[in-house]
Amino acid sequence: MLSTKFSPMSKEEVDRKWWEIGDFFRRNSLWMLMYCTGCCAIELPPAMTSAYDMERLGMGPMATPRQADVLLVTGYLSLKTLRRLIYTYEQMSEPKYIVGFGSCTINGGIYHDSHAVINQLNKYIPVDVFVAGCMPNTEAVMNGFVDLMDLIKNKKANGWKDYHERYEWYLANQKAALGEVRVHDEFHE
Amino acid sequence: MTNSMSNTEFVTNLVESKFKVLSTEVLDKYQVSFEVKKEDVHSLLSLLKTSGWIQLSYLSAVDWPNDNEFELVYIVFNWDKAVHIQIRCRLDRETASMNSILPIFPGCKYYEREAHEFFGIKFPGNPDHEKQLILEEWDDIPPLRKDFDPRAYSDRKFSKMEYKNDFVNKNGEVSKQDARTKRYDDIDKLRTGGKK
Amino acid sequence: MIDILLMILTGIGVALFGFVLQTSIAGVNRKVVARVQKRYGPKWYQEFLDIFKLLSKRSVTHGWIFDFGVIMALGGIIGTAMFMPLTSSFMAFDGYDNFFIFVYLIAVGMLGMAMSASGSGNPLASIGVMRALTTMLAYEVPFMIVVLTIIKITGTSSLSEIGLFQQVAGNSWFFIALPIGGIVAVMALMGMLGKKPFETYIAPAEIASGPMVEYGGKQLGMLFIMHEITVFIEVSLFVHLFLGGAENIVLFIVKYFVVYTALNIISSVYGRFKIDQVVLFFYKWPLIMAITQAFIAIYLGWVI
Repeated sequence: MLSTKFSPMSKEEVDRKWWEIGDFFRRNSLWMLMYCTGCCAIELPPAMTSAYDMERLGMGPMATPRQADVLLVTGYLSLKTLRRLIYTYEQMSEPKYIVGFGSCTINGGIYHDSHAVINQLNKYIPVDVFVAGCMPNTEAVMNGFVDLMDLIKNKKANGWKDYHERYEWYLANQKAALGEVRVHDEFHE
Repeated sequence: MTNSMSNTEFVTNLVESKFKVLSTEVLDKYQVSFEVKKEDVHSLLSLLKTSGWIQLSYLSAVDWPNDNEFELVYIVFNWDKAVHIQIRCRLDRETASMNSILPIFPGCKYYEREAHEFFGIKFPGNPDHEKQLILEEWDDIPPLRKDFDPRAYSDRKFSKMEYKNDFVNKNGEVSKQDARTKRYDDIDKLRTGGKK
Repeated sequence: MIDILLMILTGIGVALFGFVLQTSIAGVNRKVVARVQKRYGPKWYQEFLDIFKLLSKRSVTHGWIFDFGVIMALGGIIGTAMFMPLTSSFMAFDGYDNFFIFVYLIAVGMLGMAMSASGSGNPLASIGVMRALTTMLAYEVPFMIVVLTIIKITGTSSLSEIGLFQQVAGNSWFFIALPIGGIVAVMALMGMLGKKPFETYIAPAEIASGPMVEYGGKQLGMLFIMHEITVFIEVSLFVHLFLGGAENIVLFIVKYFVVYTALNIISSVYGRFKIDQVVLFFYKWPLIMAITQAFIAIYLGWVI
């Protein structure tokens, strides 16, 4: 017979419960920041408008990195763009997620031998979900978003924690490719 | 109104009467290309600017490693006469340097920076020509020279995806599709008593 | 002593009711707008999910002015909402539902938001605040002329008394009795709520959502709560001043829903004005119409 007496939960257990409640809200209201670097960005308008309507999943576009939850990297990243992307990613408020679109973010795609374009995005910033294809069609994009929601539900979307824990590794990779991560141009002097 | 054919003739007469043109090429009725000496470029561009070609559309370079030369291409554009004019000139590849056309076309500032970045051509007269524009913190020879190997650079600089060899090579084996077709043919033969 | 405590508790209850009502209706309205655009639309409780998600996130701060301004904005707006009469007879502080109390108190919340946005140091936030103040300057003038006309006719500036005046006069709402002024009030209300033609100070694609540009996580969640309560105050003002108040709470909710949905449907088919166009627009037709209405109603006495 189960006891009906109130037994106090430990602190870890209370934190876990709160985190699960937070996860319910977070996965049902994903606000996107679209970093439209490449051609995969053209898959987002049909996903947002009346054809696939991602607002029914609670997703919507946001204007600034501070407000957004999920960063969409749509396509190839040149070195110059990667610097700005790292700035953008570090400005977002936690918990934050990244979705990489297209084969360019996975292995370089058709730009695998270019001098200006990086090959593997998840060496530089932690990517939670990849949507493969060149370009992925809109069903695949929507499926990627649903996958991200499942990952959040199963507590596997831990890229942002990984970025804290293995920051030295990420920073070493960023420095190997970029030289220096800080932006030095006419507008940042 | 003059027609387009006379436009190209007008341009050719204008340029060839005043400058020593190495070669003239009328590409079509909207484009003419002149190759001139390096020293003539500035006066030719000033002449064209006073004659109505007021906009610098583009400035870039072409690498000719076999001749050991760079070819600079200036494209100017006229809003009244529908003719693009290309001015080409050759520079030595080792000591590539060309006086800036900043006093004539101020819009050339960023094109010259780009050409310096991608080909290593110097533009004395343009104060910013050595600032980085597109390639930040570049650590190799300029990348659009023909002797630059982008693939080697990419392999050296960016980590690649590693794939395991977990597939089986089935070349030489009879495919399941062929076996199935042959079986159906045999059945058909039996059904018709061996006759086609 | 107990009375005052009870009044304050009732007032907080009114503010909470306003928040829940407006957030639900905003969620339903997102669905309405989605149907206008041939989409399915989010769940009706999506706005609640958004707000609680923002409160569950971690956030950064840009100095104590930034944080204090957010709290001041939220507190100021809750304080304003406490005075709002729900029906013509039910209110937290009896006799303190004067129109001018709302005009003055709502400025506390707005100033808090402006201070906090400027404290973030982002130039886009300053542009957004400046545009918000300019828009305010534009719509307040015609709106105040119409409201002062109503106060002149009824002889009182208490919201519930104005509501009762319309009910006693045989349900002749001021929206119908002063038709030109009613149209002016609708336009001014759209400016107040920042709906589409007058959305200049939010402008997500232009100045990256204006004052909210540097907010994220908890601060943004508090600003969203503040925004919902602000909308509750402004739409309730319209209901009490122009739609004859409400005899009971059901009638209030129905009128509220109709006003807010109609504004959203109008807004969903418009583009966005530039800031100078907003000011020129409000100083041209609504101002002329408001003055005409005041002249007709006060000097000629033509009130239906």
